Amino acid sequence: MTAPSHERLLDPALLARISDLPLLARTVVDGFMHGLHRSARKGLSLDFAEHRQYQPGDDLRRIDWKAYARTDRFYIKEYEADTNAGVLFALDVSGSMDYGSAAINKFAYARMLVACLAWLSQRQGDRIGLATFSDALVEMIPPSTRHLNLIMHALGRAQPKGEGKLPLAIDRVADVATRPGIVVVITDCYDEPTSIGRSVDVLRARGHDVLVFHLLDVAEEEFPFENAAVFEDSESGLRLPLKPDELRERYQTLWRAHREALEKRFAAGGVDYVPVRTDAPLDLALYTYLDLRLSRSRVR
Amino acid sequence: MGFLVPAFLAGLAAIGIPLLMHLRDRNEETPTRFPSLMFLVRLPIRTSDRRKVTDWPLLLLRALAVAVLVFAFSRPFIGNTAEVQADARAQRVVIALDRSMSMGHGGTWAAAQDSARALLDALGNDDQVALVLFDEEATIAQSWTRDRAAVKAVIASTTPVSRGTGFGPALRVARSALISAPPGRPSIALITDSQRSGLTGVAGLELPAGLPLRTITVGEVTRPNTSIRTVEARRVVAGDRVQLQVQARVLTRDLPAARTAKLTLTLAGREVGTRSAALAQNGELTVVFDAVAAPSSAVDGLVTIESDALAADDTVHFVLPADDALAVQLVAPDDVTREETLYFERALGIGRAPAVRVERRRPGTLDAPTYDRSALVVFWDVAPPSGAAGAALESWVESGGGVVVLVGPRLAERRSALAGVATPGGLADRRAGGGATLGEIRDEHPLFTPFRSTQAALMAPRFYRYARLDAAVGAEVLARFDDGSPAVLEREAGEGRVLAVAMGLDVRESDFPLQPAFLPLMRRVVLHGAGHESTPLWRRTGESWVPNGLRREPVIASPSGELTRPTTGGTKPAVILEQVGVYGAYEGRVEGTARDRVAVNVGPAESDLTPADPNELLLGVGESADSTFRGVTAATSIELESRQRLWRWLIAIVAVLLLAETVIASQGWRGRARRATIVSPERSQA
Repeated sequence: MTAPSHERLLDPALLARISDLPLLARTVVDGFMHGLHRSARKGLSLDFAEHRQYQPGDDLRRIDWKAYARTDRFYIKEYEADTNAGVLFALDVSGSMDYGSAAINKFAYARMLVACLAWLSQRQGDRIGLATFSDALVEMIPPSTRHLNLIMHALGRAQPKGEGKLPLAIDRVADVATRPGIVVVITDCYDEPTSIGRSVDVLRARGHDVLVFHLLDVAEEEFPFENAAVFEDSESGLRLPLKPDELRERYQTLWRAHREALEKRFAAGGVDYVPVRTDAPLDLALYTYLDLRLSRSRVR
Repeated sequence: MGFLVPAFLAGLAAIGIPLLMHLRDRNEETPTRFPSLMFLVRLPIRTSDRRKVTDWPLLLLRALAVAVLVFAFSRPFIGNTAEVQADARAQRVVIALDRSMSMGHGGTWAAAQDSARALLDALGNDDQVALVLFDEEATIAQSWTRDRAAVKAVIASTTPVSRGTGFGPALRVARSALISAPPGRPSIALITDSQRSGLTGVAGLELPAGLPLRTITVGEVTRPNTSIRTVEARRVVAGDRVQLQVQARVLTRDLPAARTAKLTLTLAGREVGTRSAALAQNGELTVVFDAVAAPSSAVDGLVTIESDALAADDTVHFVLPADDALAVQLVAPDDVTREETLYFERALGIGRAPAVRVERRRPGTLDAPTYDRSALVVFWDVAPPSGAAGAALESWVESGGGVVVLVGPRLAERRSALAGVATPGGLADRRAGGGATLGEIRDEHPLFTPFRSTQAALMAPRFYRYARLDAAVGAEVLARFDDGSPAVLEREAGEGRVLAVAMGLDVRESDFPLQPAFLPLMRRVVLHGAGHESTPLWRRTGESWVPNGLRREPVIASPSGELTRPTTGGTKPAVILEQVGVYGAYEGRVEGTARDRVAVNVGPAESDLTPADPNELLLGVGESADSTFRGVTAATSIELESRQRLWRWLIAIVAVLLLAETVIASQGWRGRARRATIVSPERSQA
């Protein structure tokens, strides 16, 4: 019997069967971290961790000269990883998130993603918080090192419903997230890229690092419907009688233009934009997040 | 080919339903949810295209299913459409007219004729009618015709007959008449006085399901009647003369008031006595005539009562058979005493009709003349002859003679067969135990039938000593002692029979001679052994009569004087007794005294005019899907149903079509469309 591959462990369809979010998050993160180099877990930080003796090759700038004055020995000062970074996960719970043509819908995927990221952040020592929103803030849990359980419970009871107004919701997040940190937005980005961009700019202006996970369903990308049917908007309830086979190409064109516009707008605003398909493994999102987290540490 | 319910063809308009379903937006009520239509609302949409039929095969399949279903409900009819249409209009009526004796009561017959005429007048020109006349039996008096005048003529010429009533034969003949009826709407009209006695034989009768049976009851509700129910006549010995004693039972029903009536006894055409009887409104009375001198030969007579509304049952004919004594040869051994055979001879000496004349003989004295004038030979504890004499005895038995071997202590130790019926095997001595009893009796055998209700009388006698018998091949054990040893055996030989009786008939061997059953059983043994059958005083109309004593060219004279020469075909001539009165049987020519005579009367049940509810008749008649009715009376529901079986096949076709529709609609692109037409992730990645 062969051991399950790492990718297999992060298969969203498989993970969707785990109803216990903390268990799911721990499983994913442990599996994910197991595949990484241990040194990546320790970084530069302002929080002192320990001294160790200087060894040839160490950066001379890291020698603790005060310790040398007291002991006449070279010591290298090591620091804990970022323990005081605040991470706020902003989760879109509008009705459009309640859609899935494959094994898992967007909201379920987003909930798993947030749980895993929160768990990962908690292991990094970050303060973590959660904001759920649709057309306004639905629930707000301020970032803290002790809020993991609260976040998990909030994720468990969150339900996707209502009309979404992403720019307005991001504005509200910016209002409540006063302390600079990392804001991770998980949404399906159903709004005009310029409007979203303006709201994200506000976050950036307040000193936040912003990462946007754009959740996509394969049907949203490909529009594979063939028979004439009435299509209903999940949020507004608007109905349109359509012949999809005749509209598919034009729809896909509009969709690609929307994606490109988002990429350009977020890039211009210094926002990390990560499209994530619900049939893709979770590790893509985790890598992206961890990369952002480390780069932020390096910046400090 | 036609349709039984063509109105259902209007349902073909329902074909428009699948058409509309295909033209309309079938997903209108269950729309496809999509996260956001923000891109789609920007696209120009041509909605007119959706009004086109895009799935012609499925539409045609569904339309075909609807059409076949409509045809099925219209009940397609295979056959001659003209017949079906005629079936809806023309009537085929069997008029069954009761002409039994009871219909002659007062104005009942006239009312029946009027009812039949009214029924004919109510028929249309295309309607046809058949006339069945019935009493105890039924006959088609007029086959299918539109000529109502001819039917009326038959009805007018018909009169009640002296026969009983039987609805069963009437309905059976009516049913057979319908089999040959032209296509149309069949029905049976029963015109009768609805006598309850006529219901006998109806149970079990089946008529085609749905066949209308109409009962028209005629006659007054209350019909008073006086009838002579039965007559008993027997010879009695008064001193040294033999006289005839006659008594009659008179039955009265629903008389308006008690009255006195005069009864007359006529013998050989001469009035020999009268009696006056006080009759109650309802009741039964026995009238005994004074005994009159009677000849020893057969004599015919009649008892009449004053006529009433139904005169046919006021007279009862009878024929008293000749007082021919039955000759019995009693062969007893030399050493037998008179006391031994005393009880047996006394038992046979009592009783008449017939009387038994016993001639006592010594063994070895039987000869051919003796056999010829004897009906039975009884061997009293002595072996029947063997050798040439035995062969003569056997020959006589086969020609109709009877032999009874009474096996006592003398024969018990004889170890050879007795007349081929039994072999003695010793003497059983049961004196110590208080004697043996009979343990098993074949009460269905004619010998014991009269004792069926009083079998205890046969179980009471005690037998102290009796011979143990072994049944010979071909012999039948009719009774056994309680130890299983045969008590009575019988062997039939030709037209005669041989009986072996081990029951002790001597008071020294048993107490049987002192028991009440002794006399009737001994008489029964003699009569059965001699093959004697009791002759009834009279028979009922409709019965078959086999005259006795006819050797050549039989001629039967009916009461009305009609002569019949029945063909015998090697057997005894038989004749059906149709008329009331006295039939005479002659040889060659009708002259002198008849060789045999029989009196005929209508069954007493016919005099009971109690009416039955017509529903009782209908309750007794069952329904059947008679296949012989097929093709004759298309109007019956069974027939129509049988011709419409096509609809079942159509329903089956609809089921197949719907199954095919299910398969087609769930396969290929149609199936994917129904499941929201979502492609799999693998396909999207590809």
